[in-house]
Amino acid sequence: MPYPEALVAPMRAELTSAGIKELKSAADVDAFMSEKAGTSMIVVNSVCGCAAGGARPGVKLALQHVKKPARVGTVFAGQDLDAVAKARSYFADIPPSSPCVALFKDGELVHFVPRHMIEGREPRSIAAELTAAFEENC
Amino acid sequence: MGTFHDNKSALHGITVVVDTRGPKVYVGRCDDEDAEKVILVDADSHDDGANGKSKADYVKRAAKFGVWKRFDHIVIPRDEVVSISRLGDVHESTVKAVAAIVPAPARAPDNAPRAAADISTVIASPLSDKPIVSLTANAQVEVKRLIVEQNKPGLGLRLGVKGGGCSGFSYKLEFDQKKEGDIVVPFEQFNVYLDRKSTIYLRGITLDFQKGLAGKGFVFNNPNATNTCGCGESFSV
Repeated sequence: MPYPEALVAPMRAELTSAGIKELKSAADVDAFMSEKAGTSMIVVNSVCGCAAGGARPGVKLALQHVKKPARVGTVFAGQDLDAVAKARSYFADIPPSSPCVALFKDGELVHFVPRHMIEGREPRSIAAELTAAFEENC
Repeated sequence: MGTFHDNKSALHGITVVVDTRGPKVYVGRCDDEDAEKVILVDADSHDDGANGKSKADYVKRAAKFGVWKRFDHIVIPRDEVVSISRLGDVHESTVKAVAAIVPAPARAPDNAPRAAADISTVIASPLSDKPIVSLTANAQVEVKRLIVEQNKPGLGLRLGVKGGGCSGFSYKLEFDQKKEGDIVVPFEQFNVYLDRKSTIYLRGITLDFQKGLAGKGFVFNNPNATNTCGCGESFSV
């Protein structure tokens, strides 16, 4: 059952305020992924502590890097269920986890950060992994 | 860095690998652990040697992609436990080295790009510096022969992956038309088509054809596979 929207609104805003496009429906995700050329990234947001303490600040820090994906979107696990399911359909057969980050190049998944590589890590460490992937692919 | 529950162990909320004295190894999110038990939620287990995969093989794959949940909640007696480790620590990547070397990501052009250059020399992505697929000369000859036999214009060879098989994944090998979104790998007399979701598992693969009475026919050599079944048609990563 989704959390009250008032509770998650600040968690959404933390990413959208950084210019990340919110994808709230399956159609939104399909439209975002339909543009295959270049690099894009999807952040699966969540209410858990490792999203608050690690994933969201880490992603925001990484997006300050010189090289970064041309398009960045976010879906919210546990809240926008159809959007998250649609996003995960683009992640190959990787087991679902949240938060997580998927980087695409020309529509192909080229880097994936599952939850267990976010939990317990400082934002700077998460940002370092993402910026390394940006350097390689963007 | 732990989680926010003072009445739980420091591993609460952390995905861990629990190795036991017996054949089983577990991967799941730690709810709590004490002198008597370890409690995992959203967990999976693996028996050493199952599907030809050792505990180490299983944990290596789990560290790369995570696990599919089989148990909502599982209690492991402490006296069976040999070790508990963070799955994130098992993932032997240069990420930790990079985090130690690089103080902060490089910012906009008016700031020094020194950190960006350091990153590019440390990390080499395992996902994008390999050729997508290769076919040996024998495989190309056989594929071309079979395509001619089909006598349908525009036909190419489709390579893909599907879940299943004795090692976890099975190869898809079929003749097909190009579909929207396919990655196209051109060869001299035909194209190979890959759907984008399968590419992460197939990048770097070589398809061979072993002919003759003792030959196996089409054979996949997959550098991503950590284990392959005896028939060669199924693999795991």
